[in-house]
Amino acid sequence: MTLNAQATGPDTASDAQGMTIVARTQGQMVRRRFFRHRAALAGMILFGFVVILAFSSIGFAGIPGWWDKTYLDTGALVNQGKPTLSVVPEFLGGDGIRLGEHPFGQDDIGIDYFALTMRGAQQSLIIAFLVGIVGTVVGTVVGAVAGYFRGGTESVLMRLTDVMITIPVLIIAAVIGRMMGDSGAVVLGVFLGLVLWPTLARLVRGEFLSLREKEFVEAARAVGTSARRIIFRHILPNTIGVIIVAATLSVASAVLLESALSFLGLGIQAPDTSLGQLISRYRSAMVVRPWLFWWPGLFIILIALSINFIGDGLRDAFDPRQTRVRA
Amino acid sequence: MIVFIARRLVISFFVLLAATVIMFVLTALSGDPLEDLRQDASPNKAAKIADRVERMQLDEPIPVRYLTWLGNVARGDLGVNRDGHDVATMLGEALSATLQLVIAATVMAIIIGIVIGIISALRQYSGFDYTVTFAAFVCFSLPIFWVAVMLKQYMAIEFNNWLKDPSIPPVVIGALALLSGLIFGALTVGDRKRRLLSFAAGLLIGGALFTLLSVTRWFADPGFGLPLILAISLAAAVGFTVLSAGLNPRGPLYAALGAALLGTVASEALSPLLADPTWLEIIGLALVTVAVCAGLGYALGGLQRRQAINAAVLTGLFTGGVVFVDRMLQAFNGYSERVRGRPISTIGARTPNFQGDFWQMNLDSAGHLLLPSMALILISLATYTRYSRASMLEVMNQDYVRTARAKGLPERTVVVKHAFRNGLIPVTTLMAVDFAGVIGGAVVTENVFGWQGMGNLFIEGLDTVDPTPVMAFFIVTGTAIVVFNMIADILYAYLDPRIRLS
Amino acid sequence: MTTPPNVPIEPHTVDPHTFDDPAVAAASGQILDSAEEVHVGLTLDAVRPPSQEEILRVENLTVEFPTEDGVVHAVRGVSYNLREREVLGIVGESGSGKSVSSLAVMGLLPRTARIKGRILFRGEDMLKMSARKQRGLRGRKIAMIFQDPMTALNPVHTIGDQLAEAVLAHELMPRKTALARAREMLDLVGIPQAETRLRSYPHEFSGGMRQRAMIAMAVINNPDVIIADEPTTALDVTVQAQILEKLLEVKDAVNAAIVLITHDLGVIAGMAHRVLVMYAGRPVELGETDPVFEEPRMPYTAGLLGSIPSLEGGGATRLRPIKGTPPSLINLPSGCPFSPRCPLATDICRTEEPPLAETDSGGHFAACHHWDKLAAAEDPTEFFRTESETVA
Repeated sequence: MTLNAQATGPDTASDAQGMTIVARTQGQMVRRRFFRHRAALAGMILFGFVVILAFSSIGFAGIPGWWDKTYLDTGALVNQGKPTLSVVPEFLGGDGIRLGEHPFGQDDIGIDYFALTMRGAQQSLIIAFLVGIVGTVVGTVVGAVAGYFRGGTESVLMRLTDVMITIPVLIIAAVIGRMMGDSGAVVLGVFLGLVLWPTLARLVRGEFLSLREKEFVEAARAVGTSARRIIFRHILPNTIGVIIVAATLSVASAVLLESALSFLGLGIQAPDTSLGQLISRYRSAMVVRPWLFWWPGLFIILIALSINFIGDGLRDAFDPRQTRVRA
Repeated sequence: MIVFIARRLVISFFVLLAATVIMFVLTALSGDPLEDLRQDASPNKAAKIADRVERMQLDEPIPVRYLTWLGNVARGDLGVNRDGHDVATMLGEALSATLQLVIAATVMAIIIGIVIGIISALRQYSGFDYTVTFAAFVCFSLPIFWVAVMLKQYMAIEFNNWLKDPSIPPVVIGALALLSGLIFGALTVGDRKRRLLSFAAGLLIGGALFTLLSVTRWFADPGFGLPLILAISLAAAVGFTVLSAGLNPRGPLYAALGAALLGTVASEALSPLLADPTWLEIIGLALVTVAVCAGLGYALGGLQRRQAINAAVLTGLFTGGVVFVDRMLQAFNGYSERVRGRPISTIGARTPNFQGDFWQMNLDSAGHLLLPSMALILISLATYTRYSRASMLEVMNQDYVRTARAKGLPERTVVVKHAFRNGLIPVTTLMAVDFAGVIGGAVVTENVFGWQGMGNLFIEGLDTVDPTPVMAFFIVTGTAIVVFNMIADILYAYLDPRIRLS
Repeated sequence: MTTPPNVPIEPHTVDPHTFDDPAVAAASGQILDSAEEVHVGLTLDAVRPPSQEEILRVENLTVEFPTEDGVVHAVRGVSYNLREREVLGIVGESGSGKSVSSLAVMGLLPRTARIKGRILFRGEDMLKMSARKQRGLRGRKIAMIFQDPMTALNPVHTIGDQLAEAVLAHELMPRKTALARAREMLDLVGIPQAETRLRSYPHEFSGGMRQRAMIAMAVINNPDVIIADEPTTALDVTVQAQILEKLLEVKDAVNAAIVLITHDLGVIAGMAHRVLVMYAGRPVELGETDPVFEEPRMPYTAGLLGSIPSLEGGGATRLRPIKGTPPSLINLPSGCPFSPRCPLATDICRTEEPPLAETDSGGHFAACHHWDKLAAAEDPTEFFRTESETVA
């Protein structure tokens, strides 16, 4: 049921003529709806915190961080490597709120586990983002071209997409991981992105197929606008919501995918590390040193969960149909 | 319809064929198949290398290797792996283990996911809805291998330890009762008083149930017993009748109650047969149940014959299921003793060299399937829940649902007949997509639980840069995905008359 | 400026060329045809006249929806009554509360809606009834026909099934009997080959046929009241008149009264005994159809009439659309909600909302401080003269 309460909201002003409606741009509306979404906002804050912590603590690309230990140096085992982090205040019978020497503990050869986890988080984030960006660009281009041109081009591209989609994501990713795992996070991320685009391509093609029949595209074509300009200036901006949401969610699944690959031994190779690789490396330590298992797992979940919440908020913001009048 | 399926099959075949090219080439390029031998220090190193080069045709270019492989497959020969083992034999063993795991998990995830999703949609903005939504997000964000390792630690090792003295500590009973109260409360829509009342009811029921289970040491020697079977099936009869026909007039209710009663009595009468049946006999019994219950519904249904048959058949099958579970539980004690009190297993698909009657063999399978299935279900469950919730919410806002209400239909009919079926239509397309995900998940899960399944075949093949086992894995999973796509298409056409013609 | 061939009937924009609502655009241009064609076929005079017995009475009905942006005051005090066999037209723009008030009568509003007032069916307050009893009236005594027959029928069930279900919901009988009744109804609404059509799915029907099926569904239980919510808006122009005629015909066959909701004044003119004009959730004019149309006592009604093209004027009369848009139902302007758009508005209009008061004898009510100015004018639509007219 529609209530059609037109021109609602505080921005509506009336003048002598009757009514004028102060238009909000698409961007403003999306931002407003996004910031109203509490889970998405929390997700964004959490995600920002994790990223800043991961990159500032142990430093990145030669720039030193504020944490004084590295993920490679071993040290003497303190208290069997148990975590020194405490969050229970003294008056509640805890050890007070303090970080201590090794807040996340140490592994079996005395490497500071906080530094190791941060390094793992860095690598996982880099891979996930590269997968997201490369996959989104390739998927968007393939979908856009197939959706706009149709005919032979479409057939070829969509059959290719069909073929790629037949191979389960983890399977193709495992093969790529086996191939590129020892070449570092950046190479691995880019190559994974190059095979993980088919779902988005289908999505974008679908959007294009419906948009290319719309009047404004007809109009652009009628005045002789070039195909490239129609694709990029007329249609693409209208699909941007769908693409951004899909890209965000693909980053979240890439975090999980990378960790699964590393867990299977097909991702980042030692001595470098990633969150999944840490869990794999210490899976047998579950009974004696459970923290070696807990921290990387916790960070995987934090990253994936916060990105998923951001994606959900973006979806609601771009697609207000889902948050209409609470009927 | 048949033309449509045939066309789809032909297209799928070629798509699959093209995918094998990609998989083969990528696998062959993924590393150095001679890596381990290059570091070999034994005197016959050169011979070993020559041997492997020959077996894997490493002196030929990759396209030639692919064509050779394809030619062999066309003749029904899956080839040998790099050590000369027959891949078909390896595949045969791996296949049954993995299919059990994957199909059980998928079916469970679909059923549970859709039920939770629909309840969540019907109770939109309730505590239950918010909890389900949040839990689904958490599930989306869980790494499956992490869940699997956790399950192994806490559900298997600690649970088995606890089974030695299965009394529930009062604190845990309290927590479980609280949980049950919260679920009851969250499912209730209404003012605070009603919700508090539900919460209290849930708290009491949960507390009483778990105290009873603890005091009677039920877990040491579980089972329902005849009175409980009867009670459960009678309750189910009422439930199914409410869902399919409503309690007035009485015809369908009597049919369903009759089915429950008959089923319970039959379970006792058929005791000798049920002592050690075969699967064939179980299926036969199920068919007999359907026939008898349909007859009951027909005879007692009166003016609501159709609904009565539905209710009676569902009740009959459910009662059968309860009896089946009861038999399994009765066999539990004996089985547990035979596996030295560790019924929940963490390694492999079955206990090596274990032989027992039908129920014990089933228990053995179930004990091994439980944890890996849980890990797999947990991941798929979230997808189905979210999807069916969204679909159901959308359908409940459709004009035809309003029309159904405007006719004066009871809410039950509006939901079951008008909303449910339409809501299922988009979920069917999800099945095919999700199944591919489950296969990926199975690779990881098998790794954690040490299953010698398809995932193992794939990972080991990939690790040794050996295309034949990888391709064997891919042919099977690819075909399975194509078949699942097909099932989804057929279901779609069945559910939506609009596409039947095209 | 030439008279455009297609003019939106809902004058909610300044520019009569703008079709911001596809439904309006689709329905536009038919006002003449339908008004004419209704008179060609069956007219109100040919059906049995209403009796004096009152079957439905709505008293001071208000409906509010809490939303994230604030409370939407969808209906603000609607009262009317309906006699046996009477056709009451409710006219208004989208958002005037006409649909919401009738959904309230049907008990089909979402749970979040806050409903106040009284809805008396044969003297009994439906808002105080148990859910069960209310459901017993729904579809049996009060039936509804919806705007869009494309979406109002369930795509996965056959027409016969959906019709029979309406009977079975209220009466216990063999399915066969219910299907026979459904077949009878399809015959009544003029669907050929009713027997085979029972097994068809909605997508195999044309729009007009689906709406006929909806009408069949509404009358299958011989209801006392049929609420028709813009029954022809979504239909092709050529079928609209047939559907309206059919509606009158079946109404006579089952002896029902009709609440006809529409934004199409032509439909009302040909079909309704009395008319209720709504604006911003309130009734602003109520009376017998002819007096209201000939001597409107509320500028809004006059404005609506002025924005209809007319053949009789030989194309010489200009269209006089109402400027501006309807107000927000969340932040209503103070005073008369029509005052920002009203050419007659004075200071009192902007501070005080006029009550619905009797202006002429014979049950003609209007809510306007200045109804006497309209009464004095020769052509009540002249206040809505456009600038081009003034210049000329």
